[in-house]
Amino acid sequence: MPLVKVNGIAVEVPPGTNMIEAAKKVGVEIPHYCYHPHLSVAGNCRMCLVDVEAGGRGPDIACNMAATEGLAIRTDTPKVTQMRKSVMEFLLVNHPLDCPICDQSGECRLQDYYMEYGQHDSRLADAKMGKGKRQDIGDQIVLDAERCVQCSRCVRFSDEVTGTGELRLFNRSNQTQIGIFPGVRLSHQYQGNLADICPVGALTLKDFRFKKRVWWLKESESVCGGCATGCNTLVHHQDNEVYRFTPRRNDEVNKSWICDQGRLSYKDVTSLKRLTGAKVNGQRAELPEAANAAAMLLKGAKVGVVFGAKATTEANWAAVKLVRARLPSARAYVIEGNDPDAFTYQDEILVDSDKTPNRFGAALTASQLGSVGDAEALKAALAAGEIDALLVLQDDVIGRLGIAAPKALVYVGTFKNATATAAAVVLPAAHSIEQAGTWINRQGRVQRLRKTVAPAGDSVADYSAVDAIGRAFGGAVIPEMPAAIFQELAAGVKALNGLTLKGLGHGGQLITLSAPSAGADQPGQAAPAK
Amino acid sequence: MSDVIPAIKKRKLSTSESIYLVEVLKGMAITMGHVIKNIIGELKGQSTFDTMEYPEVRKPVNDRFKGAHRLTTRPDGKYKCVACMCCSTACPAKCISIVAGEDADDPIEKYPVRFDIDMLRCIYCGFCVEACPKDAIRMDTRIYEINAFSRQDMIHTRDYMRDLMAGDKPEAEQWYRENPQHSPEGFLGEVPPVIP
Repeated sequence: MPLVKVNGIAVEVPPGTNMIEAAKKVGVEIPHYCYHPHLSVAGNCRMCLVDVEAGGRGPDIACNMAATEGLAIRTDTPKVTQMRKSVMEFLLVNHPLDCPICDQSGECRLQDYYMEYGQHDSRLADAKMGKGKRQDIGDQIVLDAERCVQCSRCVRFSDEVTGTGELRLFNRSNQTQIGIFPGVRLSHQYQGNLADICPVGALTLKDFRFKKRVWWLKESESVCGGCATGCNTLVHHQDNEVYRFTPRRNDEVNKSWICDQGRLSYKDVTSLKRLTGAKVNGQRAELPEAANAAAMLLKGAKVGVVFGAKATTEANWAAVKLVRARLPSARAYVIEGNDPDAFTYQDEILVDSDKTPNRFGAALTASQLGSVGDAEALKAALAAGEIDALLVLQDDVIGRLGIAAPKALVYVGTFKNATATAAAVVLPAAHSIEQAGTWINRQGRVQRLRKTVAPAGDSVADYSAVDAIGRAFGGAVIPEMPAAIFQELAAGVKALNGLTLKGLGHGGQLITLSAPSAGADQPGQAAPAK
Repeated sequence: MSDVIPAIKKRKLSTSESIYLVEVLKGMAITMGHVIKNIIGELKGQSTFDTMEYPEVRKPVNDRFKGAHRLTTRPDGKYKCVACMCCSTACPAKCISIVAGEDADDPIEKYPVRFDIDMLRCIYCGFCVEACPKDAIRMDTRIYEINAFSRQDMIHTRDYMRDLMAGDKPEAEQWYRENPQHSPEGFLGEVPPVIP
């Protein structure tokens, strides 16, 4: 591995690493606009100019400088300072400085780098070039060509990631402007990423337009529950209200991207489809009261437990513990397929055909009870009267299978659906961003959920809802703290042995599965994001 | 633990003080001194009264006096404010709440749909004026009688602050009664005034 020097600090990096990444390793930030770790190198913003001490000819752009043995660069010389200042002056020549009405302000690279490296007064004698403002170029995106610094990140994104190629830089020199081909509209499912990768306010999100100033928002890590990919997300919230989801970088799962469906799924958190209170026979009830009613229904009945591919692994584990402790004759089921109202889109980039975030975890935990039945087995057992009570975790069994609901149906779920309507007892579960827990994605990667905002209404974490039934039977079946539940889960399930909640880290841990039943995807087969 | 709060010892009154009468006479002497001084002053034709006949007479306030907020407008009558939220970010009392909206016909795309200042929370620091990049909010009205009969009326709304200097200065409650469509949420229009 070549040894390079950044500001005199030696660092060993893999051959071919560019110097922006090498400098990041030793804690030196090289400012840049056009460089993006998941796009090709364009080298047109010139902001990353550095001085080359040895191993090359100086000043050169760091993003296009591959690490070779003996290469030494400096970012702290007066020359570099002057270069950065001059580049900033050029980039701001035609910038309208409409920060007060720009949604990017607060997370804008132009603002950040001007304060850090620019601080010049404008020397422009002529009027600024006016370019098109407020152009409607897609369902999710508003384009303001004046604010653009011609970094071409969006052009490369539409060429390299989505392969649709709608955007280009048109005209030359002073009049260069970003635009979309005539008669074309952005129509792919990854438009929101354009707003994310745009370092300035040229491409902004329609949905977030004028909603909130970004400096007020707090960011919390989470995982998208829209499909089996499990894209890592950041939840942006203020005062318990969620304003947007943005992708969080995870090179193994979603790189830096997220689909628009997942991005806009923050609206589900406050949607009217949420179950916010416990119900017994359609009447609103307190949670312990409903849990008591659920225990009464399940006690002594021939119970079938439908494990939920949308529930956390912890909730499924709580169901396993409940069955072991209180319902020893219960049968386990995991039902394949998606909800009838699920978004049907899928592609090779991120969106999986399986719209459940935790099918792996459900199959893995259910298999702890021995044999796991599928949809046909459940139908047959219900028809033959082998089962007369159902405990359903986050799964719209009734709506999906079109079966008549048994009289004793207990539903633990987040959203209203046919099962919730038919259920005798409904226990409201929190949304995945409102509770801790883990999901196992299509690769077999255990990823961590965190509580970012308070649960809506009376809802509680889904494992607590299952545990409430256990308490109604006479004693808690799982510990209270998420870390303790996961510890128990990791000890109890062979594939998870040795994992800790903290040890999952920001990027999750890949597990090797011995033999997942109920036809879950094999680990490592699903290719990571394109 | 080490913070011992010292007890303040009560001063023992002297004999003449404990009688009170002597101290009362001392006070009366000061009052009478002023009465005599004023009478002499009136007779000489030079008023020496320290009391002002408020509200008929008002003390002029300084040019930089921070009074009630007003919102400025552009020549076309639209608000200068573009709802950038710099004022509510700078506000240490967190009394400014703005809701931004999009104006489809205006090249300046953003405008305040709501702009409310809770004058009960405002501490008149003037940071909002300092922070404003558009000179949209000013405290140069010299209005210091900011009062109302209910808490709701103490929330100054967008249009109230725009009209504050137009023509006669409107009283908050009176203005909201005349413009109920702009009154703050929960405005109690029917509540009789407390002072008859």
